[in-house]
Amino acid sequence: MHVIRFLATRIMVYLLVVWIGVTIIFFVPRFVPGNPVDAMLGKMMSQGTAMDPKLVETMRQTLTELFGLEGTLWEQYSAFLQRVLLTRDFGPSLSYYPTPVSMLIAKALPWSLGLMLTALAISWTLGNFIGLLAGYHNNSGISKAIETTAMIVYPIPYYILALVLVILFAYIWPIFPFVFQVSGTPGTWQWMVSVAYNSFLPLMSIVIVSLGWWIISMKAMAIDTKEEDFVQYARYRGASDNKVMVGYVARTAILPQVTVLALSIGGVFGGSLITEILFGYPGMGSLIYKAILGSDYNLMVGSISISIVAVATATLVLDLIYPLIDPRIRYD
Amino acid sequence: MKQKNLLFALIVIASLLLSACAAPAAPAAQSGADAAAPAGGETFVGTPRNETLILDNLGGSLERPDFFNPYAPGVDMGRGYHEVCLDNLWEIDTTTGEQFPALAAEMPKALNADYTSFEIKLRPGIYWDDGVEFTADDVVYTLQLGLTNDKLPIHGWSIDYLKDVKATDKYTVIVDTTRSQPRFSKDLGATIWDATRFWPVPKHVWEKEDPTTFAGFPPVCLGQYKYSKHDPNGNWTLWQLRDDWQQTSVGMINKKPGPKYLLWNFVGTEEKRILAMINNDVDILQDITPESMQVLTNKSKVVRAWHAGFPYADFDDPCERGISFNNSQFPYDQWQTRWALALATDIKKASLGTFAGMLRVSPLAVPPVAAVQNTYHKPLVERLTAMQLSDGYKPFDPNFAKDMAAIFKEQGIGAELPTTEAELVDLFGVGWWKYDVAEAASLLESIGFTRDANGKWLLPDGTPWKIAINAPVDFEVQSGRLAFAVADSWTKFGIDATVNTMTGGSFWDAESTGEFQAGSYWPGCAIGPDIYPNVSNWHQKYIVPTGTPAPGNRNRHKSDEIARIMDELEKVTSDDPKNVELSKDLLMQMALEMTWIPMFGTSKFVPVNETYFTNYPTADNYYEGPWWWWSNFKFIVSHIEPKK
Repeated sequence: MHVIRFLATRIMVYLLVVWIGVTIIFFVPRFVPGNPVDAMLGKMMSQGTAMDPKLVETMRQTLTELFGLEGTLWEQYSAFLQRVLLTRDFGPSLSYYPTPVSMLIAKALPWSLGLMLTALAISWTLGNFIGLLAGYHNNSGISKAIETTAMIVYPIPYYILALVLVILFAYIWPIFPFVFQVSGTPGTWQWMVSVAYNSFLPLMSIVIVSLGWWIISMKAMAIDTKEEDFVQYARYRGASDNKVMVGYVARTAILPQVTVLALSIGGVFGGSLITEILFGYPGMGSLIYKAILGSDYNLMVGSISISIVAVATATLVLDLIYPLIDPRIRYD
Repeated sequence: MKQKNLLFALIVIASLLLSACAAPAAPAAQSGADAAAPAGGETFVGTPRNETLILDNLGGSLERPDFFNPYAPGVDMGRGYHEVCLDNLWEIDTTTGEQFPALAAEMPKALNADYTSFEIKLRPGIYWDDGVEFTADDVVYTLQLGLTNDKLPIHGWSIDYLKDVKATDKYTVIVDTTRSQPRFSKDLGATIWDATRFWPVPKHVWEKEDPTTFAGFPPVCLGQYKYSKHDPNGNWTLWQLRDDWQQTSVGMINKKPGPKYLLWNFVGTEEKRILAMINNDVDILQDITPESMQVLTNKSKVVRAWHAGFPYADFDDPCERGISFNNSQFPYDQWQTRWALALATDIKKASLGTFAGMLRVSPLAVPPVAAVQNTYHKPLVERLTAMQLSDGYKPFDPNFAKDMAAIFKEQGIGAELPTTEAELVDLFGVGWWKYDVAEAASLLESIGFTRDANGKWLLPDGTPWKIAINAPVDFEVQSGRLAFAVADSWTKFGIDATVNTMTGGSFWDAESTGEFQAGSYWPGCAIGPDIYPNVSNWHQKYIVPTGTPAPGNRNRHKSDEIARIMDELEKVTSDDPKNVELSKDLLMQMALEMTWIPMFGTSKFVPVNETYFTNYPTADNYYEGPWWWWSNFKFIVSHIEPKK
């Protein structure tokens, strides 16, 4: 009963958070100066073509009607809620009319998930492993070198690091492609190799930048944890160094890292804008960016809602599984 | 030990960073533009490199690379689609600013004296790339699309403009309009960039589809290239020369194009685009910054700009840059305010601060492109010099070109400039307004402005005068930089001037609704002597209240005199001698009223790589302007030749 009440409360909070987030993302762009119709007309007029004012006015009227932007904000919101709740349809993209928003997201999301989840898995695993070793053996020279390197690399602006990688490995030593160009039929071995080859540099750029943080944070927690009484006791009981490091220190120090990992998983659904722009990598980051530039309300709501749901879900799952990871945690 | 470890780490990192600054291994054929093209090699799409012209796709990667419906909102007309696949009844010759017949056999013939009925004769023997002939039925079908589909954005214009459309034979179309349209060919044909309302589509394909949602894929082309394939992620599109290229308008007017393949490719950020060009992986770049141009000229002997040396850029882009105001709101509704701001602008410093001086100045509301400058700017110098404000002040200064030449001489680049005054004026413009802060102050004080103890300007109500200049943040870099240069001048004058950098949606919305004070917009475009189609939207009949999107006259400038001249201009045809004379009167009146502050034509750095192809249009080889992203590119590419 107690568990059921806990679950019900958490799920209700989850639904409330998602609803509030989606509502905010629905209204906020509509309060910002700019709308998709004027963005589209402005882009046409910026070409310098002689746009007859009559043409501009009639196009504005037609586009406003076509994009469903007539009526009050509440009427538009009500129509939006009905569409999303009943048919899970965010409607057509306004910038890429009449392409459905879901189709654009379905095309971009797998690329973001593939890149970001892989980068997260590698940097989290490697970072925590190196951080654990560095923290457990914190008096060694290697540990200090690792920490120094991490502290030097970590604050480097991502764009600079990524550009250096491009210059080094795509231009000076052209080992990797300059531009993201995948070949082969999707699903085939040739295609998978091409994806891996083309994704290597963007992947490494993200891994290098995020590795520093995981190393530094894990090292700090490992140093703290290894001085705890229960760890000392394990040593006195004759446990081997490796067993103490893995079974006692790591298991405790990793807990906050799991929290951050779960929250980071939610964040991958937003893509990585700078990575995508610099490497020409297709993904959610550039999709959201284009939506903002074009004041594409439907695409903004659809793509950012995915992120909202992902982060909220990750938080919910973390809340539910945390007692399983850390036996000290119990909810009243 | 600790210090040694740290030092080791620092050396490794520094080595990595330093190697990034190392000169790259020279790519093939770096010895100069005269060297033979390297043999062999394939592009990443599998075509022979020496048969593939690779163009930069400035529009970026496409979310719908398989969408080719020119009448759908949001369609991307670039990536080769309107450049080489679509075609127009009448295309534009950018060297003269005049249209010429393309799909049409001749210019349209007015069938009555009031210009409400026109005959269009098509060229026989033009075929779509699927082998079906292009006929009057396609033209009629396409025009009727707009009339019969109320969901197409073109619908409103169609029912307002067109009364009737019919084919009288296989190659003849009669169009009746609802009102007198003496500029009929400009309404349906290409002018700047392309047409705006009409591109023939294949009736035999489209009549089976819903035109509001039809993707038009694969596109069926009238141009001399046909669609080949595209990147599903939207980074590139490949076009191939048609075997029957002679059965196109370009094929009948020009000769066989040199490139067998055209590849529009989005490389990425500007740094990557420059590196790609140095690597000979791109042949044509669209619109880079002067700093990037400098890198290219330093690093590559096979890359050249419009001018082989300084000032590199082509100054003939048909839109000009300057500062606009909402002329319906105080204090910008006062001509004294607008004139004061013009006179408080150090235009030479603005030129140097924007694009290192590589700009052509313009005091008139139309850009100083060669065809327009020769028709208006130069002949009007006398009137501009004699022009007086109501206090008797003569604001015009004809010495801009001479002064800029002197500045460049001091910088050590004078040797690359023309030597005669006439040539300097051709290059840098006829002149601009004087930089006269005393007169500017006098004008402001005459309408109640004052200064505080620190010399800062106060509005007549005693509050500090603050101006926020809207500027685009991630596009049209010249306008963005101009805003900062102008803000600098005005700040020195004592105005609290700042710059609001904005993304596209907000930027355009502010101009449309008038919810801005000043903006680095570009409401002055024109390509040839007939400027009326471009300036007609300044008519006061289009003024709407601030807060309401404006269909025209976004500056909300009210002027009975300008309206009177425009009403007369509307009735004359493009080739009527009265057209130019009335246009001159209009431009002088707009200058006197300072409807906005025009400053410079647009300078485009549009470099080309001569490793694999040659005979690009340049200042020394001027058969067309370097407008790779326009519809007339199909005529340019027919001149480009492979390097032997």
